[in-house]
Amino acid sequence: MIPVQPVILGDMPSLSKLYVNAAAQAARRRLLGAQGSAVLPAENHEVRGVTADVANLTAYQHLLGETASDVLPAGFLHALAFPVAMSVMNRDDFPLPLLGMIHLRNSVEQRSPVLFTDALDITAGVENLRGHRVGTQVDVVAEVRLAGKEDLAWRGISTYLAKGVFLPGIDKPSAGSAKAEFVAPDPTAVWQLGVDTGRAYAAVSGDFNPIHLSVLSARALGLRSSIAHGMYLASRALADVGSVRGGSFIWDVEFDAPAFLPCRVALGISSEEGGSGAWERSRFVAWNPRSGRRHFSGTVAAL
Amino acid sequence: MSTDGQSIPAAEAAAASAPALRRAVVVGGNRIPFARAGGSYAKSSNQDMLTAALDGLIARFGLQDERLGEVAAGAVLKHSRDFNLTREAVLGSALSPETPAYDLQQACATGLETVVGLANKIRLGQIESAIAGGVDSASDAPIVVSEGLREVILDLNRAKTLPQRLQILARLRPKDLAPLAPGTSEPRTGLSMGEHQALTTAQWKISREAQDEVALNSHRNLAAAYESGFFDDLVTPYRGVTRDGNLRADTSMEKLAALKPVFGKSLGAEATMTAGNSTPLTDGASTVLLASDEWADARDLPKLAAVVDAEAAAVDFVHGKDGLLMAPVFAVPRLLARHNLTLADIDFFEIHEAFAATVLSTLAAWEDEEFGRTRLGLDGAYGKIDRARLNVNGSSLAAGHPFAATGGRIVASLAKQLHEKGSSDGRPARGLVSVCAAGGQGVVAILESL
Repeated sequence: MIPVQPVILGDMPSLSKLYVNAAAQAARRRLLGAQGSAVLPAENHEVRGVTADVANLTAYQHLLGETASDVLPAGFLHALAFPVAMSVMNRDDFPLPLLGMIHLRNSVEQRSPVLFTDALDITAGVENLRGHRVGTQVDVVAEVRLAGKEDLAWRGISTYLAKGVFLPGIDKPSAGSAKAEFVAPDPTAVWQLGVDTGRAYAAVSGDFNPIHLSVLSARALGLRSSIAHGMYLASRALADVGSVRGGSFIWDVEFDAPAFLPCRVALGISSEEGGSGAWERSRFVAWNPRSGRRHFSGTVAAL
Repeated sequence: MSTDGQSIPAAEAAAASAPALRRAVVVGGNRIPFARAGGSYAKSSNQDMLTAALDGLIARFGLQDERLGEVAAGAVLKHSRDFNLTREAVLGSALSPETPAYDLQQACATGLETVVGLANKIRLGQIESAIAGGVDSASDAPIVVSEGLREVILDLNRAKTLPQRLQILARLRPKDLAPLAPGTSEPRTGLSMGEHQALTTAQWKISREAQDEVALNSHRNLAAAYESGFFDDLVTPYRGVTRDGNLRADTSMEKLAALKPVFGKSLGAEATMTAGNSTPLTDGASTVLLASDEWADARDLPKLAAVVDAEAAAVDFVHGKDGLLMAPVFAVPRLLARHNLTLADIDFFEIHEAFAATVLSTLAAWEDEEFGRTRLGLDGAYGKIDRARLNVNGSSLAAGHPFAATGGRIVASLAKQLHEKGSSDGRPARGLVSVCAAGGQGVVAILESL
């Protein structure tokens, strides 16, 4: 991450306040017609000595299908770091509108297991502002370390797209080759996602983004219905990969079509072994069993 | 290529470590006729049906007021109030109330596993007599409250003050009041057992016609067994039912072919599994009387067959390495190898028809060269069975499948069949039981005629 003195936040930022602030900022920008600059804030935000709430951890593990061990699941750490990441994107000098950004990709490196009893230092920053065919994308990088320690325990890079936002000086990339058509494999699992899936994940992750909560709140933001959190879907796939992943791994996911609630999601997981027969990686892909459209795909690989 | 741990160990290693044990014998069995869910037993509980099956067995073998070594049974769909189901059934039966009992649950392998566990106790000399059994009601299934309501009720119990209680009650939402019925989905995949089997069916390219043929044979064989009186001393009527309600003696390939597929409709391959070649939800109960030779002889009771040995296996089905119901494919070769036997040494095969395609996928895997080499660690295919020896008195497609009761049905019928065949060419008649179960499990056992 960029070596600039971090901004130390006294407390974990409140996500609900951040969303309210983001909405106010969006209105202000619309009113003033302010065009964002093409420069990202260089400072990271940091919160020190964070600990997980054990009741919330249990609820998270039950919802996502993780074994209820004392180790924080990689997706739980994403949720724990999310308010810090949001606080960076909420800064006045962050050039993209926070509300309505689309989660394109997520890449997590789980270097070593983190226990719920560990006190954690969490930092987040933004980097790599660049063009996209239909807007501008940015990487939000979050890092988790045991309090006061140098060694990285967990690192997540979330790539978001601000659709329809084009900033001066940032060219859109030339149209890439068309994506290969997706052919669904036989499913290894099917998830029944109820209308309350977004609310249930919001309750354990703290991410109360209105596009996930109800049909009405999603419509207010221009969607035809509420959609499942991308990280809910990806974290369930990670849980399904199971104990074979061990305590340290790389978890990559790329999001495609949103999963409008309620729905059925078909999942296919396959694993690859190395020459010695040891597990190397599991690939996962999820799709809508009716339309055949892909929701997301990715891998969990040995680190 | 290396095999993956499911291969067959050498027979000598297993045989050398086995201590000398005495014999456990099957004296006989009794079940109530099986009924389709929502039918004649719709208002009968698991305890009602298990007690009825027990009492029929007690009457048949004169066990009134006997203190048996132990009774073990179980149910797959079980109410929490039935935590001591088998003991309660014993207390309600004509057995001595001093007969101990325990519950066991291994999904559809429950019934067979009670036979195996109790036979082992007899063989070890821990008990002289036992009743194994199982029961299931898909009609009288437990309905549970939602997680939301359950948590509120549990928290209310722990609350000490009125304000605390009110605060907890305020958490209730209308949706929390909706009850939940049990499903047949695998917890880890969300796929129903039928959908899982549909994947295996497609993988092994099992045709619709072959499945319908298995179903037809099941109905014909069961009907013929009833006609010949085979079940006269194996079944006791209950609630006016005298024969298995699912039996269709007059079914035909044409009738079966007319049914629409119900599983595997969203897969790439053609859907082939229908209500005709899949087992229906069923209510029923079964029991088996086991004993040492001494105990049976002292009472002048028949000895139909010996419970020789058993083997359990499980497969890694979650990501499709093997099909959900394919564990017996691995258990059978391991069990037979321990006794230096092959498929050709078996006179009667009882392969539980969870679905017709389950039986056919099992046979296909054993007949497959590649599978034999890479998964079973053999030089080629494991072997082919003589289909005339398969499920000769019908199986679950015709009789129905009250999950935990199926093992007892099979063991009692097979023991009688073996006894009728008796020894030939200087060796006893041998039977193989194979039952697949949820969670990718399977239990198999060998019985020998006496």
